[in-house]
Amino acid sequence: MNALDVVLWVVAPYVALTVFVLGHVWRYRYDKFGWTTRSSQMYESRLLRIGSPLFHFGILVVLLGHIGGLVIPKSWTEAAGVSEEAYHVVAVVLGTIAGVATLGGLAILIYRRRTVGPVFTATTRNDKLMYAVLAVTIVLGLAATVMANIVGGGYDYRTTISPWFRSIFYFQPDPALMAGAPLLFQLHALSALLLFAVWPFTRLVHMLTAPVGYLTRPYVVYRSRAEQPTGARAPRRGWEPSR
Amino acid sequence: MAGMDGPVDDALLRLGRHLRAGTVSDDLRTLHQIGGRQADAFYRDRWSHDKVVRSTHGVNCTGSCSWKVYVKDGIITWESQQTDYPSVGGDRPEYEPRGCPRGAAFSWYTYSPTRVRFPYARGVLVEMYREAKARLGDPVAAWAEVTADPDKRRRYQSARGKGGLVRVTWDEATEMIAAAHVHTIKAYGPDRVAGFSPIPAMSMVSHASGARFVSLVGGTMLSFYDWYADLPVASPQVFGDQTDVPESADWWDAAYLMLWGSNVPVTRTPDAHYMTEARYRGQKVVVVTPDYSDATKFADEWLAPHPGTDGALAMAMGHVILKEFFVDRQVPYFVDYVKRHSDLPFLVRLREHPESGAYVPDKFLTAADLGEEGQEAAFKTVLLDAVTGEPVVPNGSLGFRYSEEGQGRWNLDLGGVDPALTLNDGEGRPAVAVALPRFDQGGGDGVALRGVPVRQVAGCLVTTVFDLMLAQYGVGREDLPGRWPSSYDDGSAPYTPAWQEAVTGVPAAKAVKIAREFARNAEESGGRSMIIMGAGTNHWFHSDTIYRSFLALTTLTGCQGVNGGGWAHYVGQEKCRPVTGWAQMAFGLDWSRPPRQMIGTAFWYLHTDQWRYDTYDAGAVSSPLGGGAFAGKAAADLLSASARMGWMPSYPTFDRNPLELAEEAAASGQEAGPYIASQVASGELGFACEDPDAPANWPRVLTVWRANLLGSSAKGNEYFLRHLLGADSSLRATEAAPEHRPDDVRWRQDAPQGKLDLLLSLDFRMTSTTLFSDIVLPAATWYEKHDLSSTDMHPFVHAFSPAIDPPWQTRTDFAAFTAIARAFSTLAATHLGVRKDLVAVPLLHDTPDELATPGGVVRDWRAEGRTPVPGRDFPKIVTVERDYGAVAQKMAALGPLLDRLGTTTKGLTYDVSGEIGRLGRLNGTVRGGVADGRPSLARDVDMCETILALSGTTNGHLAAQGFATLGRRTGTSFDGLADEHKQITFADTQARPVPVTTSPEWSGSETGGRRYSAFTINVEHRKPWHTLTGRQHFFLDHDWIHEVGEALPVYRPPLNMTALFGEPGIGESGGQGLDGITVRYLTPHSKWSIHSEYQDNLLMLTLSRGGPNIWMSPADAARAGIRDNDWVEAVNRNGVVVARAIVSHRMPAGTVYMYHAQERVVDVPKSEISGKRGGIHNSLTRLMIKPTHLIGGYAQLSFAFNYLGPTGNQRDEVTVIRRRNQEVDY
Repeated sequence: MNALDVVLWVVAPYVALTVFVLGHVWRYRYDKFGWTTRSSQMYESRLLRIGSPLFHFGILVVLLGHIGGLVIPKSWTEAAGVSEEAYHVVAVVLGTIAGVATLGGLAILIYRRRTVGPVFTATTRNDKLMYAVLAVTIVLGLAATVMANIVGGGYDYRTTISPWFRSIFYFQPDPALMAGAPLLFQLHALSALLLFAVWPFTRLVHMLTAPVGYLTRPYVVYRSRAEQPTGARAPRRGWEPSR
Repeated sequence: MAGMDGPVDDALLRLGRHLRAGTVSDDLRTLHQIGGRQADAFYRDRWSHDKVVRSTHGVNCTGSCSWKVYVKDGIITWESQQTDYPSVGGDRPEYEPRGCPRGAAFSWYTYSPTRVRFPYARGVLVEMYREAKARLGDPVAAWAEVTADPDKRRRYQSARGKGGLVRVTWDEATEMIAAAHVHTIKAYGPDRVAGFSPIPAMSMVSHASGARFVSLVGGTMLSFYDWYADLPVASPQVFGDQTDVPESADWWDAAYLMLWGSNVPVTRTPDAHYMTEARYRGQKVVVVTPDYSDATKFADEWLAPHPGTDGALAMAMGHVILKEFFVDRQVPYFVDYVKRHSDLPFLVRLREHPESGAYVPDKFLTAADLGEEGQEAAFKTVLLDAVTGEPVVPNGSLGFRYSEEGQGRWNLDLGGVDPALTLNDGEGRPAVAVALPRFDQGGGDGVALRGVPVRQVAGCLVTTVFDLMLAQYGVGREDLPGRWPSSYDDGSAPYTPAWQEAVTGVPAAKAVKIAREFARNAEESGGRSMIIMGAGTNHWFHSDTIYRSFLALTTLTGCQGVNGGGWAHYVGQEKCRPVTGWAQMAFGLDWSRPPRQMIGTAFWYLHTDQWRYDTYDAGAVSSPLGGGAFAGKAAADLLSASARMGWMPSYPTFDRNPLELAEEAAASGQEAGPYIASQVASGELGFACEDPDAPANWPRVLTVWRANLLGSSAKGNEYFLRHLLGADSSLRATEAAPEHRPDDVRWRQDAPQGKLDLLLSLDFRMTSTTLFSDIVLPAATWYEKHDLSSTDMHPFVHAFSPAIDPPWQTRTDFAAFTAIARAFSTLAATHLGVRKDLVAVPLLHDTPDELATPGGVVRDWRAEGRTPVPGRDFPKIVTVERDYGAVAQKMAALGPLLDRLGTTTKGLTYDVSGEIGRLGRLNGTVRGGVADGRPSLARDVDMCETILALSGTTNGHLAAQGFATLGRRTGTSFDGLADEHKQITFADTQARPVPVTTSPEWSGSETGGRRYSAFTINVEHRKPWHTLTGRQHFFLDHDWIHEVGEALPVYRPPLNMTALFGEPGIGESGGQGLDGITVRYLTPHSKWSIHSEYQDNLLMLTLSRGGPNIWMSPADAARAGIRDNDWVEAVNRNGVVVARAIVSHRMPAGTVYMYHAQERVVDVPKSEISGKRGGIHNSLTRLMIKPTHLIGGYAQLSFAFNYLGPTGNQRDEVTVIRRRNQEVDY
């Protein structure tokens, strides 16, 4: 274990997580009106209607897969009677399908973004960076899975990467676990760290505010004023006085 | 998917009841919550503000709309329209709300990148000035050295327009300005200082503060109304009035409305609603315009004459009206009206014309011809009593206006006389053939021979103006000699409808129909037929003839002086309703008189050296029946004649400093007038206008404020740049060949480049003018100052009020000129001291000067070898004392001359001593100095109060006093017209627009809440017009008018630029080695700007295509290979313009529009042809002086500031338009 391993697998994760958390807090406080998906649906919807669900449902499955693979210890699944082999088959099959759906969706979205004029015009440099990091992370993740399990003989990340991931949150980071992982997995992890670090500053913040509440809320909302003591109107918020 | 009320949805919504606070309704549709509205604050704050301030825009748009200006945290945020105009009565729509997108975009300028925030000066000039001042220790000596050294002069003049402006302090800027003024006055004379600021009505105090400074130092204020070609010269010619027109609410009263060369929805946007609303009342709207303009969609009928041929259509309509309503059938209303209110019954002498073997109309028969003695007799015109057949000298002509015996007789009372309109009293009456010029055949050699009935009166062969009119219009009667058209369909002779069709392209039947309807409506409604006319027909070289043919229609049908009828000429925001008070302030009449006031067109024509490029002689516009008075003369010769005979002002006046001339005159022991006259007669002293290129005669200092001379009104922009400024130009013209050069004006081999020592501008935004200026002072906007506004379009005066203080280092014009005056006075006290100034004043309108030229017979003292008499055939010479060290003190106090002389407007003098006392109490009085004890004018609001207090429109006491004075002269009563108790204060105007009261300063009445319409006082109270006959004139008898063949309404086509300047003909290919085609080049006013204002405004740029563009027809575009949005170049001898083409079916073939005042500051690339930046709309135009506009000293044809003068017309121009390389380079 050398210094590079410590930087990559101890320092970098904490930096990325710190930026991720504090970045969101900062963004929420100072850019509440910029907290948006910056939807481009009004410019183009035909491709979006295919690409967006493909990507979003795909990425949700990928997310569930990562939770299953990284957060749940191998010992728990074995205790539940799921054999390594069965787990592996389910993970690879589901993961590959979801990964391909995600990647396909993303490809459609990027193609659309580049070729549809109004959408491209509405694309900022920030968006381009975000797309690059997101795409690299997904491609690397899918590549690692494919290389390890389909081309190669399989790799049990649940004995190396998952414990390392959990060790970060125990505050007992164990870089040695990661140092031995295959290169593609390492690159995937690093690109993911980068993605988390830029996350709060991009449109990806919308993930934290997905409007799930709408599922259970009536369309029409009436809000009456909160009761106030008469004659003592609170100072209005607004722009700061210029002098 | 499940529907809205599917079981799954319902289940989810029911689940939601348990997940959040609040009450979900039983139908699951709504959620009620308490609180949680914090997010609303953002949206509420977006539209919250700290205060709303009432102000308006001073942009010469005629809107004069009242606006709410919103301020938040000390920042102007936006504006919206005011809605609280006083009601105009329950029988018509109200004025409110007024405004347009341009006004609503104004606040953008406050903080825009184009805002001038600090004083700037030309870098090279500042460096040289500082160096010289450090060395010489005196600002005036430093200025003198920098401007006298040819190399230094060249360095800063050639840098004009090329950037290089650097920030300076206010103190340094005002010191340089003061030094320039002091040096110029000392070295060359005060009349070498000029000021240009137009349209006082759009911000009276801002105009007056600068004009007051210029006038008090003896400088020259340049006219603008004639210079803009907005002055319809026909108005002084016909009405003896500058311009007086109905307010827009009076359009509602019209039953028949013609829009003729005026695009009301675009250029009178806030008023256009009256036109659209009146249609619901049954009004018929006829639009006459060559293009499918925005107004056209409101038209019941659209007539599209070829550009510039409107006069032909109007003449044909006049033909129909005279034929059907005066000859075939006499309409009592019309006959009665023209007998009382026009010159039609007056007798005109006929003169034999040997060349044509016929007679020609000569002069009005006057009492002098009948044997009456006295100077006034030649100004009392004569008519024939229809009952007795005897000649009668009726009241009301000019001869009754000033004389003692005319007291009580200057009125339109005919006293039981029934004037004979015609001498056609049956068979066997004598008749002679009259030769009448016609100009429709191109060669200018046409003559029509037509008979008129005649009589011998006092040994003179006479006929009536009416009989001459019938001959001129070609309306035949039985047994008259000459050649007459056989019917309306006879196209061989003017002015039949068929003849007109060949000229204008308007179907003859249509012209007949509209004429018939127009007159029929006037007959049935008592004169409620109206023609709204404007720049489309008024900016031509021969627009005075076009307008006279229009005015003939409204006067023949008894529409003038009737609500809902008559002419409605709208151009700039001309009507400064409190005119008397403004004039006292602006020209310093409270301290010294007379001020120097110059005809702008002549000033620019001479000093931009456009006269050197006139390749034709003035005889080119003469009548074939003329005496050849203009043959071989250049326009500059006629300017010189006009100046030396005292007709028109001429500043700089003499070829020497008037301060020195005053000393010389005093030393000579003679009176100044005779001394100067003899000096000039002997050739010792010359007129500056006869050697305008001599360095001693150049204007040296020019101040421009509230104006964008070089980006907007400077016809001949490239000539301005080359000769006046010495900057780069794209001028392509060659100078006149020796045979076309003037005789009386000295030709210097090398034309000067860079006459001006200092171009100073004050503005709040960067314009073409500021970019070429040597010093730019940052001005306050219309939301940052106190001022007053009024307009022709509504009867209110209202205020500008500051929403914020002037930001950065900007100052109001009032504050800026106060600072300049202080700096000037400091330097002038030692350099100039108290001096006598010798002012040459032309013969003035509304004064006895009008009697200087009996019969309009021109007697040029120089040609006759006489010594002239000042005030008769030479300017009056007046000596004025100027205390140069006290100018700042005089600026800031109301002077004592008013106590003694009162105020005078349009010939009526008012005693204002009561007002002066009140102003002293209101404004406070000055302590110490030359103005000790005088009412203070230290603040802009003091000046506002003074303007309101000294004007009849805003001070009913003065209006009533004026009417009483007038009544003594006319012998009639004007009682009850003025609201004697009305006294409008500045606070009133700040609170809400305030209607003015009826005043003799204007010709219409607002009494009893009626809508303003011009000349209603004349018609209803028998008050004469300010003309020779006291009536509206169809006939003009001045020698020079006869010389150009315009004694009667006549059709004159647009100028032939091929014949005059060798330009290719319209429709021809480019010539001069250019591809493309030749088209007529018009510069009408735009939908997206007001002059150059707003064309650089981001909000307005996004509403239009933005940047310079030229509209053209698909046919022309196809011929020139131009597609929509292509880059094109328009080029003629005057210069080059680069723009994008807009190819539109709205445009008629053969004509392109470049909307007026698209400036060099937005998207102007370099030209392929010149290699220089691609010009502005005026790069293709130039000035041409019409000789008859120079007439003076004769009845209504006498000078007054902005009342009469040569127009700066530009519509006759042509250009080659070609597709250029589409790669443009900036």
